[in-house]
Amino acid sequence: MQLSMKVGKRYPDFQLEADISLAGERVGIFGASGSGKSTLVGMLAGLLQPDSGEILLDGECLFSSSATINLRPEQRRIAMVFQQHSLFEHLNVRNNLLYGFKRCPAHLRTIDFTDLVAVLKLEGLLERSVTTLSGGEKQRVALGRALLANPRLLLMDEPLSALDDVLRFQIIPYLRSVSEHFGIPYLFISHSLVEMRLMTDQVLMIEKGAVVQQASSEELARNRMGQSPVGYINLLKLGRPAPSAGLFAYPWGSGQLLLSVAADRDCSLVELSSKDIMLFKQHPEAISARNLLRCDIRSLFSSGRKIGVELECAGNTLVAEVVQDAVNELDIVPGGTVYIAIKASAFRMLPG
Amino acid sequence: MVLNDSDIQSIWLTVKLATCVTLILLLVGTPIAWWLARTRSRLKGVIGAVVALPLVLPPSVLGFYLLLAMGPGGPLGYLTGRLGIGALPFTFPGLVLGSVFYSLPFMVQPLQNAFESIGDRPLEVAATLGASRLDAFFSVALPLARPGFLTASILTFAHTVGEFGVVLMIGGNIPGVSRVASVQIYDHVEALEYAQAHRMAIVMLIFSFLVLLALYAWRPNGRTTKREG
Repeated sequence: MQLSMKVGKRYPDFQLEADISLAGERVGIFGASGSGKSTLVGMLAGLLQPDSGEILLDGECLFSSSATINLRPEQRRIAMVFQQHSLFEHLNVRNNLLYGFKRCPAHLRTIDFTDLVAVLKLEGLLERSVTTLSGGEKQRVALGRALLANPRLLLMDEPLSALDDVLRFQIIPYLRSVSEHFGIPYLFISHSLVEMRLMTDQVLMIEKGAVVQQASSEELARNRMGQSPVGYINLLKLGRPAPSAGLFAYPWGSGQLLLSVAADRDCSLVELSSKDIMLFKQHPEAISARNLLRCDIRSLFSSGRKIGVELECAGNTLVAEVVQDAVNELDIVPGGTVYIAIKASAFRMLPG
Repeated sequence: MVLNDSDIQSIWLTVKLATCVTLILLLVGTPIAWWLARTRSRLKGVIGAVVALPLVLPPSVLGFYLLLAMGPGGPLGYLTGRLGIGALPFTFPGLVLGSVFYSLPFMVQPLQNAFESIGDRPLEVAATLGASRLDAFFSVALPLARPGFLTASILTFAHTVGEFGVVLMIGGNIPGVSRVASVQIYDHVEALEYAQAHRMAIVMLIFSFLVLLALYAWRPNGRTTKREG
């Protein structure tokens, strides 16, 4: 996908000015509530008309104020998944899924109904009324409906924010299948950095109606570490654990980690905040934290008043955060080594 | 026999009138209600007030002006004259036309509420799935507004059945042409035929009650079971 947007939109109490040029398959738009994310994607989908500017998608002009071009939404082939699923309540699951499919010209249909139903695990739901579905099922149907319209671009406008934590992480693999399985590029809108890192490769950051940064999702997370109350979230993929003295030992790279929580599956995603990693210059004599590892220091980066320390531990990467005084006292420099301590209870198992 | 032939004829005429008016208003009222529900035009207030006027206007006033409009010197009368239809006052088509104006808010307002309650989102979703505006109207808006259509149709039918003043002004009291049930009751009372008037009134009362019962007892879609998680 190649997208170029140079648009302006003015409301009595809000103004959006965006000049974007991006290429990629998994792009995020990150920003706080009211920053203009939904206005931006609304203009891209054709649901809102910019006051001025131009929108080009894969070389085709969707909107141009100077050339008085404004393709209607149904002419753009840009589908959307909204925060609220917005399923058609007068249609059952099957007919919701087929709504866009039937309206897509046959020569543009590349997604097979049966394949999609299998990937999104909707087989048992097809004849059900959408009013009887759970929140997660509704969002899967909404995703399937959008995909079956065979769009050239899918916009996902905070599709997870109406779901609780458990459902959120259950839905993410399905959302990722948009690109991984069906090959459709997407724009993912969210105000969650963790969602951004799981769903996107590059991110546009919007503040008060203007694009202020364009970076990889990893860079964005590091840049915002110092301002975030939860710091930088390390995402660890862990295998099946074994009981170990009241805790659970997970193989991790060439080493292992001890966690206080058990996983019931072979591969789990675990969160660890950069704030929960303690650094030592030398091996501590005695310490209550159950995870004590020797790590190499790869690099340092600053974020606000904090210094991020990128570490290589047991063949894996971790980011810890410290203040500048600690950097000086511990002599933390790239190429050096430190010991890190992490409490077994500091890890948070993500549902899924 | 509880009702005489004249009573039955007036009831049949009433049902015919109400059916015609309801069907015509479904066609005429739907686009008006859709426009009122969706427009941001400054004319919305004016058009909305015009549509609602029969709710507050005395039927005799509305009937008087409709009579003038349909008469040979009125714009409608001129038009029907030019079209070769002839004068509409004291005819069944004239009665239908007058009743359409009189019952207009009973069709438009429930439909407008139903369309407004749908909101923009389902139509936006339909558009992003490839549906044109007309397609989205028929495939999404109309089905979702179905409860509103039922309410509007029942109210329009019942209101037309109960009308009196407008009918009398436009249609007069011609058996088989404009003597509807309410006028027939009036005639019985004028002739001191209270027993006959009573029977007709009971029929109207039961009908009105059944209509309202249907309206209040009916629940769109019934209760649904929603699962958490």
